[in-house]
Amino acid sequence: MPVEIKSALPALVVIAPAAAAVLIFMIGRFTSWLKETLALAGAACALAGSFEIGLAAFRGGVLTSFGRQLYADSLSAMLVILISGIGLLSIVYSLRYMRHQGAAGAAQHTTTPRRLAVFYGWLMLFLSTMLWACLSNNIIMLYVAVEASTITSGLLVAFYWDKRALEAGYKYLMLLTVGITFALFGCVLVYAAGAHVLGGARALLLSDLRPVAGGFPVATVVLASAFLIVGFGTKAGLAPFHPWLPDAHAEAPTPVSALLSGVMLKVAIYALVRTVSMFYPGFSPISTFVLALGVFTLVIGDIMALAQDDLKRMLAYSSVSQMGYVLMGFGIGTPLGIYAGLFHLLNHALAKSLLFLATGAVTYSTGLRRISDLGGLAKKMPVTVFCFFAGALAIAGMPPFNGFQSKLALFIAGAHAGVWWAVILGLAGSLITLLVLLKAAKSVFWGKPSPALSGAAVKEAPLTMTVVMVILALLCLGIGLYPKAVYRPLNAASAVVQTVTSHEPALGAPQDSTTQILHRP
Amino acid sequence: MSGLSAPLIHTLSLAMIITSFAAVEARNLRNATIAYMFQALLVTGLLAAYSVQNPALLFWAATALVTKAVLVPWFLWRATAGAEQETKPLIGFGVSAVLLLALLATMFKLMHANAGLFIDVTGEFAALARTNLAVAFTIFVLGIYAILTRRDAIKTVIGLCLLENGVHLSLVSLAPAMKETALAGIATEVVVTVYLLLYIIGGIREKFKTTDTFKLSELHW
Repeated sequence: MPVEIKSALPALVVIAPAAAAVLIFMIGRFTSWLKETLALAGAACALAGSFEIGLAAFRGGVLTSFGRQLYADSLSAMLVILISGIGLLSIVYSLRYMRHQGAAGAAQHTTTPRRLAVFYGWLMLFLSTMLWACLSNNIIMLYVAVEASTITSGLLVAFYWDKRALEAGYKYLMLLTVGITFALFGCVLVYAAGAHVLGGARALLLSDLRPVAGGFPVATVVLASAFLIVGFGTKAGLAPFHPWLPDAHAEAPTPVSALLSGVMLKVAIYALVRTVSMFYPGFSPISTFVLALGVFTLVIGDIMALAQDDLKRMLAYSSVSQMGYVLMGFGIGTPLGIYAGLFHLLNHALAKSLLFLATGAVTYSTGLRRISDLGGLAKKMPVTVFCFFAGALAIAGMPPFNGFQSKLALFIAGAHAGVWWAVILGLAGSLITLLVLLKAAKSVFWGKPSPALSGAAVKEAPLTMTVVMVILALLCLGIGLYPKAVYRPLNAASAVVQTVTSHEPALGAPQDSTTQILHRP
Repeated sequence: MSGLSAPLIHTLSLAMIITSFAAVEARNLRNATIAYMFQALLVTGLLAAYSVQNPALLFWAATALVTKAVLVPWFLWRATAGAEQETKPLIGFGVSAVLLLALLATMFKLMHANAGLFIDVTGEFAALARTNLAVAFTIFVLGIYAILTRRDAIKTVIGLCLLENGVHLSLVSLAPAMKETALAGIATEVVVTVYLLLYIIGGIREKFKTTDTFKLSELHW
């Protein structure tokens, strides 16, 4: 049993960005720098708190706030570090990007102090609700927090307030709210089943539900799992519930796209894993269904990405595909599979945020984002080229980047579990991803400039944007070259999911399985 | 039955289904809003009626009154100012009414017969719980039907509200002892979502000069 420690840190991590948002809405528009400063301070506080949580959680501790309503174990800690880290980087990137008139076709009115205060205010609320979702130990409040993250990001998706943004915003809010309502049904069914065993108050707590969920009636398990998979799966962009995703990711301001793809999808996957994995011991066919859904998602995402000419839409479909890989790991269900799923979740968060931000840099400098309109940027934007390639190779699973390590672990886990069909489709998907991204990169950076671009004075993006991209690129490279750096947190986080899995460990002791196989000569 | 009036609950449940039908089928958006408001009042009445069995539901009834019966209809009323007629739906009234009635009957019968999958059907209040759950799921499905077959963006929001009412009503049987904070969270979220959706639909009306979702074709897969 983990040692539970009462702490204000989980509460601080949620409240700091929310407090910053309130201040930004109240006083942010009065000076040109205040909103950015408040946003940076809120995100920095959240990141510092998240690291503190991580230090305790990765050593086996659990921090709790508000009478165990907030519960930070190692899985939550990993997610909150990711959210607050990428959140802080996105805010730094936004400093110049959001003030630029031409970014993504932004209309003049979007960069007024009032509109920028609205942007940063909603952004901070978005961060706060995602952090809340990953720390919530109350199954109903988990739904509330996940839905709150949809609400707070709805106006960010529609921020540019033109036809495309409004259409994307409407679809985003409508489809995700309908989808997530299914998750509420699922959560309520789990709670109702738990209440018979634990009583009303304790049945709300995920930490108390997990040990007893294996004994729930099969009918409840099947229905609840179906509702939860449809609900949280819609939010995670799993096929066939993904149609909102490319529109929202493409039309949102680029720093928001990076957050949507980089972390919001992971929050939904987290909610799915937290809830559905508790049924694995009592009903193992669920893991097979999750595996099939993951493979289906990765295939659909890859095929759709092939057909895109808009850089951001292409990346959005690629995100659908990569969520399939993450789910594939959880579907394999062995300790190594879960480890690989979490590892790929981490790597995709870093690499896809990087790719969206690099695409944003291209748009910032050229005002264009269609692949067929772009070309010949390699000499003019060398830092962006390096960063785009780092992200593309990482997503495609190429060495020496981080995606290689997680996909290798994933395919080894699949092979050990004997699901060769999934491994083969996964490998084929990776090749398609590589083809799609490299083809786009070649066209954008080395292709012949289109008439729309020739004659335009294109130069590298500003320092605050390139620094953020370089940090992410170095993280992708660093984890790829030295994956041991993340073994401990990942082992601790995957152990949380493994506590209820009944599958035989694929490779020896669960805690060391991945380390062992990845270090074999 | 410890003060719990079965005839009253059955009457309110039947009236809920009728108001849902009216909210979906009314072509005038303001009439649909009024039908929805009546439905929300019936939800409040049902929750108050069940509170005889479980006093905690009184808080829930009060929350539903403020959020569902006052705030949401007010937002919808404001959003429909100057554009009261619904965009012609995908399916005409006659076919839609027949389809809807068939759907209602099937869902109600199905859920009534299979309520045991979700709740304990052996207790004192089993019959009422069955009815409640059957009505809740029927309204839920009706909301999905409205979202799928209606072209008008505001009508899809009404469909969403029906769907949410169905889920919230099911909580009476599935999770009667749920804490007030969780209930308040769920109720608040519906109001905020509806407000934001209508705000964005206002922008759509301004830019597209229509609320017909079939005309939202700027983005293609």
